[in-house]
Amino acid sequence: MAGIVKPPGEFSITPHKVSVCILLQIYAPSAQISFHFPFASVAQHNRLGLFLLALTKSCDDILEPKLDELIGQLREVFGVLNPRFIDHLTTRLSALSSPDDLFNFFSEMRGILGSPESGALEDEQVILDPASNLGMFLRRCILAFNLLAFEGVCHLLTNIGVYCKEALSSCASYETTCFEDSSSNLEAFPEYENMDLENFVFKKVTEEIEARKRASERVSFHLHAPKALFNLVEDIEAPADPKSKHGDKVGEASSYVHPPDYALREFEPNSGIFLRTNWQIQGYLQEQADALEKNGSSFSLNAFELILRQLHKLAPELHRVHFLRYLNSLCHDDYFAALENLLRYFDYSAGTEGIDFVPPASGSNSFGRYEIALLFLGMMHFQFGHPKQALEVLTEAVRVSQQLSNDTCLAYTLAAICNLLSEIGVSSTAGILGSSFSPLTSIGISLSVQQQLFVLLRGSLKRAESLKLKRLVASNHLAMAKFDLTHVQRPLVSFGPKASMKLRTCPTNVCKELRLSSHLISEFSFESSTMTTDGAFSTAWLKNLQKPLGSAILSQENGSGSNENAFQFCVQPSSIPGSVLQLIGSSYLLRATAWELYGSAPLARINALVYATCFTDASSSSDAALAYVKLIQHLAVFRGYKGSVKKPNFSSCKKLNQVCCGEVLGGKKRLQEMVVLCANVTVMDADKGQMRYTPILKSSIVHFKLCLNITDPNVGLEAFAALKLAEEKFLSVSKSRILILKLQLLHERALHRGHLKLAQQVCDELGVLASSVTGVDMELKTEASLRHARTLLAANQYSEAAAVAHSLFCMCYKFNLQVENATVLLLLAEVHKRSGNAVLGLPYALASLSFCQSFNLDLLKASATLTLAELWLSLGSNHAKRALSLIQGALPMILGHGGLELRARAYIAEAKCYLSDPSFSVSENSEVVLDPLSQASVELQVLEYHELAAETFYLMAIVFHKLGQLEEREEAANSFKKHMMALENPLDDEDPLFNVL
Amino acid sequence: MNSKESCRSELRIAIRQLSDRCLYTASKWAAEQLMGIEQDPANFTPSNTRFQWGSSSIRRRFRTNEITSTPIAGVSYVSTPVMEEDDAVDGDFYLLAKSYFDCREYRRAAHVLRDQTGKKSVFLRCYALYLAGEKRKEEEVIELEGPLGKSDSVNCELVSLERELSTLRKNGSIDPFGLYLYGLFLKEKGSETVARTVLVESVNSYPWNWNAWSELQSLCTTIDTLNSLNLNNHWMKDFFLASAYQEIRMHSESLAKYEYLQGTFGYSNYIQAQIAKAQYSLREFQQVETIFEELLRNDPYRVEDMDMYSNVLYANECSSALSYLAHRVFMTDKYRPESCCIIGNYYSLKGQHEKSVMYFRRALKLNKNYLSAWTLMGHEYIEMKNTPAAVDAYRRAIDINPCDYRAWYGLGQAYEMMGMPFYALHYFRKSVFLQPNDSRLWISMAHCYETDQLRMLEEAIKCYRRAANCNDREAIALHQLAKLQYELGRPEEAAFYYKKDLERMEAEEREGPNMVEALLYLATYYKTQKRFDEAEVYCTRLLDFTGPEKETAKSLLRGMRTTQSGFPSMDVEHFSP
Repeated sequence: MAGIVKPPGEFSITPHKVSVCILLQIYAPSAQISFHFPFASVAQHNRLGLFLLALTKSCDDILEPKLDELIGQLREVFGVLNPRFIDHLTTRLSALSSPDDLFNFFSEMRGILGSPESGALEDEQVILDPASNLGMFLRRCILAFNLLAFEGVCHLLTNIGVYCKEALSSCASYETTCFEDSSSNLEAFPEYENMDLENFVFKKVTEEIEARKRASERVSFHLHAPKALFNLVEDIEAPADPKSKHGDKVGEASSYVHPPDYALREFEPNSGIFLRTNWQIQGYLQEQADALEKNGSSFSLNAFELILRQLHKLAPELHRVHFLRYLNSLCHDDYFAALENLLRYFDYSAGTEGIDFVPPASGSNSFGRYEIALLFLGMMHFQFGHPKQALEVLTEAVRVSQQLSNDTCLAYTLAAICNLLSEIGVSSTAGILGSSFSPLTSIGISLSVQQQLFVLLRGSLKRAESLKLKRLVASNHLAMAKFDLTHVQRPLVSFGPKASMKLRTCPTNVCKELRLSSHLISEFSFESSTMTTDGAFSTAWLKNLQKPLGSAILSQENGSGSNENAFQFCVQPSSIPGSVLQLIGSSYLLRATAWELYGSAPLARINALVYATCFTDASSSSDAALAYVKLIQHLAVFRGYKGSVKKPNFSSCKKLNQVCCGEVLGGKKRLQEMVVLCANVTVMDADKGQMRYTPILKSSIVHFKLCLNITDPNVGLEAFAALKLAEEKFLSVSKSRILILKLQLLHERALHRGHLKLAQQVCDELGVLASSVTGVDMELKTEASLRHARTLLAANQYSEAAAVAHSLFCMCYKFNLQVENATVLLLLAEVHKRSGNAVLGLPYALASLSFCQSFNLDLLKASATLTLAELWLSLGSNHAKRALSLIQGALPMILGHGGLELRARAYIAEAKCYLSDPSFSVSENSEVVLDPLSQASVELQVLEYHELAAETFYLMAIVFHKLGQLEEREEAANSFKKHMMALENPLDDEDPLFNVL
Repeated sequence: MNSKESCRSELRIAIRQLSDRCLYTASKWAAEQLMGIEQDPANFTPSNTRFQWGSSSIRRRFRTNEITSTPIAGVSYVSTPVMEEDDAVDGDFYLLAKSYFDCREYRRAAHVLRDQTGKKSVFLRCYALYLAGEKRKEEEVIELEGPLGKSDSVNCELVSLERELSTLRKNGSIDPFGLYLYGLFLKEKGSETVARTVLVESVNSYPWNWNAWSELQSLCTTIDTLNSLNLNNHWMKDFFLASAYQEIRMHSESLAKYEYLQGTFGYSNYIQAQIAKAQYSLREFQQVETIFEELLRNDPYRVEDMDMYSNVLYANECSSALSYLAHRVFMTDKYRPESCCIIGNYYSLKGQHEKSVMYFRRALKLNKNYLSAWTLMGHEYIEMKNTPAAVDAYRRAIDINPCDYRAWYGLGQAYEMMGMPFYALHYFRKSVFLQPNDSRLWISMAHCYETDQLRMLEEAIKCYRRAANCNDREAIALHQLAKLQYELGRPEEAAFYYKKDLERMEAEEREGPNMVEALLYLATYYKTQKRFDEAEVYCTRLLDFTGPEKETAKSLLRGMRTTQSGFPSMDVEHFSP
């Protein structure tokens, strides 16, 4: 009883099929019937045949065209001659007024089928071979009709009546009927009534309607190729040459992409007659699930819920709807609804519907698969930030799947636990992770969370490998890389000769894991049994779905045309499931993060860029936002905050894309395809005077601009401008990440310009975000208090700053956030430096240095070295030499990869070292001091870092004074004065972003 | 009593008006209440009553008009409105239509009235059309078993009917009965707030239509909506409130209302049954049983509410009484969902779960939304260890009524059986939330926390405490509490609970292993606490039992004596020879 899916593909007779039959009769009139349509030419006759062929092939579509749509298609195909067909069609249809008419009609239909033995043919006669496609269709129709009981015939009759009537009425005024449809919609009322109570504002309605439109636009799955493809093909193809069979078919296929606006009608109660098979509905749901996952919160909660509820009303036995409702509420952070729907889904389906249910071979497992329910529940708790509960549920999932020996589920559950442990700060798992599965607790050794995580990761990886779950293997490798990146590998059992253990992270390990993870794309072929961790569904299931749908038509048709390359290339991305692309994408993101930490700016940038260019289509919007955030941060650090926006040109866009895509997809063949494609694009450019984007190129112009800017130094675009663009792009989606970025930039800038009040305000905002209800984001939490400490430091409240930093250090230590530890220690050193306690600062700087060393954080190490040098310098002029050598050691790293601020600080420190060295004389070697100073002053002015800029000019003025260059001295002094003024009287003149806050 | 008299006459008129409009359920209900009023022996001789019931139609009609013209109702009550009568020719049409209607030829009836504009005719036409549509819909449900299930059939008359009635309402030419229909249509359409206001309007102007009240009640699922209704004061309102309170699980309030109503309607079977329902929810099975015995004596062919009686009999394990009841309803009307449910219960009690499931299935075929059949079927599946089917059945029950704590509880049990205690907890929490006074639920939940996998003992203790506070019949909670406290190393608290448990057992005169355990623990506890007097009392009590504990008690006693006497015992030994 639980979760029984009805057999797919029931062929039932519908009004649309009746009209196809009528057209068939026109195409192949039987000998007995008196009328024959005089076709203008053989070509026209053939065209009708092709048209019919296409119609019969798409008869399993989820949507059947309405009569007026059919008429429209006929008009398109046949041009002038059409009225005859159409008149005939409508008169035949409206002549069907009694059950007997239908009986006669179908017995007439039987007449046009040629019998196999009737060898003698008249010349003109077209005989429908019963074994041909059209013949089969006709026979199926007749059979379906004969199977109907009298009630069924009556229903068909009324449906035909409705079908004709709608066509007649909707011809006149589509707009009004459409409007009425939505207003008289039975379901709409309670929805809006409820919202009335929740301060429902009118604005929301329009938003909703738009969202609904958007949602409906996505329904294009019955032909598994993006619409853009057809546009492309149509453009290339010379129109309608009947001889060129191939081209004609493609053209036709494209005209049968139903206008997506009609998708909604499907779910209105009164159009229920057009509902198709279970598979198709499931396909729709699948599509929506993917879209939900990708676009997250850009879905309108209520609009989609409305559709789902109607769907549920129409198909109460289809429990997958509940799952979609779960996903929907998950995306909108509605905990209660999500929980409710998740439980409901699994109660009904017992985990045996949809997610590639393979009926178990042995009878022992026939009692449903509730362990999957546990897995999902755990994921949900994780998503909502209930780590403890999530852990409990997942532990139970482990137990149950062990009991039921569901290894796949076990592997995924272990992966989920790893994910949980690494993402969310759990200080101790004692008492939660029971003794049931951890192999080590049996020896009686208590492990830290990290050690446990490591053991788990290993186990999970091994299990996934032995089960051949490729995606899981890849994601486990990713998790491994993440672990290697942030955790020192300590020996699990702490005895024996410690000397043999390396207490540091190993970048090569990270790279190795990353590389292993991205092998996935090349070896991706077929996974026998899968489910993914975050609500994406299995490909196996998807593939089953595709079979009865339209993909067969497509694969036949891309035979051997000249446009094969483009065609294949466009089809390519859709053949790699989204989840795989997503995984690969996240490996790039992780690479970017890794390089950021290791301190290679160009590599970090290129990886983020690759992600933004190639994977934004496949990825979820929050990941995409993250990539943009990285890029923008990069801009801010290296290019300052404000500037003029120049217009980018598209040719370099194309070049860039080409390179990136080639690199990502790897292999020469793809690169070639890429080149061909780009050539196509260029050709079209020339032809049409406008750019058309193929799926992989179609991401919005915004990110072209962004990407371009980072690679091409000639186009000046600074962080704020880029941020504006990004905000536009992610208007509704993942607001928080962009918001955080905005706050970060604002804070940074306020600190530089000395707007301490503003900085404090922004900092508080950030703190509010960090203590949000949706989960504890440790990263954000550390970030917020780090910034707090820095603000306090900037306000010269040393002891407070030190206290905050200290407590932050404690927290990081507790949750094993080693990388952050290094930063915090550096900050503490900085605090002591600024407060004049250089001696106290030294140990902190050294500790930070050693942290950096063991984690290979090169850039941070360089900046720690710089701080160390500054500390030495402030101990007195006799340490200047030592400081100088330190700085010079760090300079290559700083100049190669450091941001503007760091570089400027290094320059200043270097100059100061020279100046304070008693053996150094300015007059002899003035350029050794002046060069770095002037460099620093330029960079600091870009940053608007008034304090340091003032210092620089002060030093410059002194140097010039010593050199006796009075004019220059005056100039530097003036600049100094200007910066001091700016620092003391902060002007809130044009803060472009703050007003948006 | 005047109010009784006025109720009586109001009801008499109402019954005629209702049955004249073919609202048979409502008129049946009203007639039951009429008979529920205590007859005045002075005014009514047996012949008099008989005459009254058997009066000719002309006369009745005459009487109706006579009575309505004189105001009879009390001050605060609305008086019976004078219903508009269509003139003679229309009346003939109406008579024909009504006879068609009585023969269940709805469309024909509606057709006869197609040109009539009287309010009564309009009402009957709409009602007939609505019923015709409903009938068609049900047929379609059976006919159309499409690939996606079957509930896509709708009553196709609804839209036009609703439109017609809404214009009538705007014109103001609509009577309370029309309003009732309008409310019904609006409810079906899904616009609940409007439906509620319309129905309130209807019952305010004509309170005797129970159908309207029950539609209204089905729209009031929370206490807030109930309180926000603006209802005129009338005794029918009390009936409504009582039943609405019951639905939103305010059982004692509802009971109070019914008891108040019993003052007037002392003999009403309906009220009796409703009281039984409330008592059942309060788990006073003994009372429910007596009420139902009484009911069956007065009304032996009653099938309504008898499924609840069967539940009570089931709970009390009276299989012979249950079989008698089952046989009785079977002979009365075997194709009523209630009958099937009773038979299912009978088989379940007999341990024949397959058969019982079959009968529950039959009940569900007769009424897809029959809540208790789903739940009971879930129980059967649990017995048969078919957990997925049980889960499915329970879930359906919940979808029909999300406040059914039994189904939530059943789901919890099912998942616990599958070894998913943490998952089950959510369901237990739900059921406990809905029925916080049921100790069984708390105990199950505590048990769940206690399982080896979870071992969340603190939470378990909290649950057991709740259970102990709400009259735990099986007396599990106290014992478990004591044990858990001991396990957690809190001997004083353990002693406290053992003592309490002991007191309880004494009060209920029960003996058993629990008693022995409690005594033994207390004895050792007090001994370690050096409170030897108390320890001795418990030890001596232990001596009454047979088994190893007796020996332990003896040795305890011996040990205590030696420590108590200390040196003296040595002395005794010393001086003994």
